Amino acid sequence: MEPKIETAWCPGCGNFAIRDVLEKALRELPVPQNRIVLTSGIGQAAKMPHYLDVNYFNGLHGRSLPLAVGIKLARPDLTVIAYSGDGCMYGEGGNHFIQTIRRQLDITILVSENQVYGLTKGQSSPTTGLAVKNDLSPGGNPNLPLNPLALAITMGTPFVARGFAGDKEHLKALILEAILFKGTAVVDILQPCVSFKKINTYAWYRERVFKLERPLTDCYEAIRTADLWGEKIPIGVIYRNDGAPCREVKEIFRVPLTKEDAASRLNMRCVMMR
Amino acid sequence: MEFNVLIGGEGGQGAFSVELELTETLTKINYHFFATKHYMSRIRGGHNFHMVRIADHPVHALNGGKWDMIAALDDETEALHKPDLREGGSFLSRAMTKEIGEESQKLFGDIRSANTVLVGCVLAVIGVTPERMAEAAEPGKAEYLKKGYAFAVRWNIAGAFPVSAAAGCPVKFDGNRALAFGALLGGCRFMAGYPMTPATSILHYFAEAAQDLPVHFEQAEDEIAAINMALGASYAGVRSMAATSGGGFALMQEGVSLAGMTETPIVVAVAQRPGPATGLPTRTEQGDLKFILHAGHGEFPRVLFAPGSIVETIELARKAFDLADRYQIPVFLLTDQYFADSVQVVEEEKIPLDLITREYPVFDATYKRYRLTEDGISPLTFPGLSDALVKLDSDEHDEEGKITEDPDLRKRMMDKRLRKFDLLKKEAVPPTFYGAMESAAVVLCWGSNRLIVKEAAERLNADGLSVCALHFGQVYPLTPAMIAPYRLEEKKRICVENNATGQFAGLLKRELGIVVDHNVLKYDGDCFTVEELYRRLKGLLT
Repeated sequence: MEPKIETAWCPGCGNFAIRDVLEKALRELPVPQNRIVLTSGIGQAAKMPHYLDVNYFNGLHGRSLPLAVGIKLARPDLTVIAYSGDGCMYGEGGNHFIQTIRRQLDITILVSENQVYGLTKGQSSPTTGLAVKNDLSPGGNPNLPLNPLALAITMGTPFVARGFAGDKEHLKALILEAILFKGTAVVDILQPCVSFKKINTYAWYRERVFKLERPLTDCYEAIRTADLWGEKIPIGVIYRNDGAPCREVKEIFRVPLTKEDAASRLNMRCVMMR
Repeated sequence: MEFNVLIGGEGGQGAFSVELELTETLTKINYHFFATKHYMSRIRGGHNFHMVRIADHPVHALNGGKWDMIAALDDETEALHKPDLREGGSFLSRAMTKEIGEESQKLFGDIRSANTVLVGCVLAVIGVTPERMAEAAEPGKAEYLKKGYAFAVRWNIAGAFPVSAAAGCPVKFDGNRALAFGALLGGCRFMAGYPMTPATSILHYFAEAAQDLPVHFEQAEDEIAAINMALGASYAGVRSMAATSGGGFALMQEGVSLAGMTETPIVVAVAQRPGPATGLPTRTEQGDLKFILHAGHGEFPRVLFAPGSIVETIELARKAFDLADRYQIPVFLLTDQYFADSVQVVEEEKIPLDLITREYPVFDATYKRYRLTEDGISPLTFPGLSDALVKLDSDEHDEEGKITEDPDLRKRMMDKRLRKFDLLKKEAVPPTFYGAMESAAVVLCWGSNRLIVKEAAERLNADGLSVCALHFGQVYPLTPAMIAPYRLEEKKRICVENNATGQFAGLLKRELGIVVDHNVLKYDGDCFTVEELYRRLKGLLT
């Protein structure tokens, strides 16, 4: 069902389903709505926060993660979720994706994964398959697709999952689990693009997706599972490592600093210039 | 009385350490001094030199005259600098500093002790007694300093250039530390950065402060991430900054524009170095004024400060956070390598220590982040403090923060943001005036040239020339009220800048209609010395 509020998405867009799921998931979270912050970048998916009743910082293309990092470091009391599409998260923001995982913060990264640039009308994204044709790659995409799940696992992400916009109940459970997980969580959400992606349709996915029965805890098995694509596409928690450390963030918000604290910084040794 | 010493050597030989220890010790024994350096973009080898001016009165620039003493740790120092040694000056040749090295190694079993021994030798030349040295020595280093004194006696240079210690209660600062200290006073609690000379020591200061104060430093993966992290923290309610140099700032521009659109307070410090591109990484220039003035796509209000003294840097850095917060705009602090890396003394009672604090207003669920107000300032609050949800958007947005493409609303939002500029102009920081109002000529300057210009103008006046000086700590916006008292139109106007095209002179013309008669420019990567500027100005005044 499409929401009553006006959105900038195409009729039938997979993002509607994700929006419904997110709205329910955020309501079910044991966190007051005003303590949830969404960050997003640019693209069709990045408009998501506008259609939810939460705090948000809809920033620039590729930069949802540095914003999320800044917010989490400043305010560990807030539940921080970064939401954007595959182009934003893995293309323009690809390095931020890698570097944010390294920071071991309690941030949830949700990615609307449609293997195409929607807002700019159908160009290749970092996850577009090899040889797929479009206006900017009339001879077929010459680039290997990035595997975000395998990348996330090898970078040490303690929670890595794949959801499908066509299975809302399953997706909602995944998103809730990801947000409640203490540590960096990545959920790549298969989302059909009805305007520019004629192959990966709802029907195409329905024929292929299968649910993992339980989270994989062996990272090598998880990488092998993340590598499955084509005939069989796994959805569910691909990797979960409850033993992974999560960085403790110091309280700085509204913690007073005194004149004496400031004065204590005088006459410190100069460092060699750099 | 004053004493000017140059210590030169290859990277890695210890000249840096000698300067650090010398300035550390001079501070402890109440000397006024100014120290700066000329160094290459490499860790080992090359030729670096360190210049220290020690005086019985406050000094805040390089003298630029002959050296009273030169210590050569390499052969190049002798070749390059010995011609600039004054007659009767003390020269420690490469052979002599080698002797220091060998004897120190033998006596103390640590070659690094030679640095401290050389410091002791320099102190002996200005008349510091071994007893006084021992009092100021770091634990275990008193003997090293005393050994340095013995060398000075052996070479008959002890007390050759006596200078009395006249600084009451000195605190030493380099420009970057002053800026970081001012930021702390201004309530800055979050900094994200990516190392880049000459801004890196600002990052160090915050990383160090974060060890025991409620402050956070995060090393970002690049400058784009750095400014976005700082904006995220600012959105969450923590005053934040980013610091870099021109090349890093080039990457931060999209974040500046984002701050302009989302009205997120942010302070960005840019320690300039010569460009274009990588330029001269460890040298100085004021070449990024126009760049920073116009950085970021689109139109939005901003303020640029370019402080020229340690106290002004602390004050303007502190004020930057207050302005950024109250007006919800980006504020820039422009310094340069020369100022960032120069160490100087400030008497403790002159150091501002008052902290700026902020309010955390709460609102109900009807809160709108971008409420259209008469003065253009929408009430600011932060997530999680009340039922108010805080919604920021980089697209044009409505009052609530939701995307809009409505032409009328777009115009009203633009007008709202730009209205803040009118208020900002009323708060402009006035320039600093030196000299007599009725002078025939005025030297205009901005940023780090402030105290070089001041001293050069004093020398010119001592020669009977009628010249005053006006320094702009706020370089943008420029308002007629800022210059109204000084009757610039009646004077010969000379603008001094460390760039090749007279960028500030151009800005004065554009913003205030002030046309300068002469540009005095320098863009070889070095700072002006007082002597050099004095000569160049004298040529224009006589």
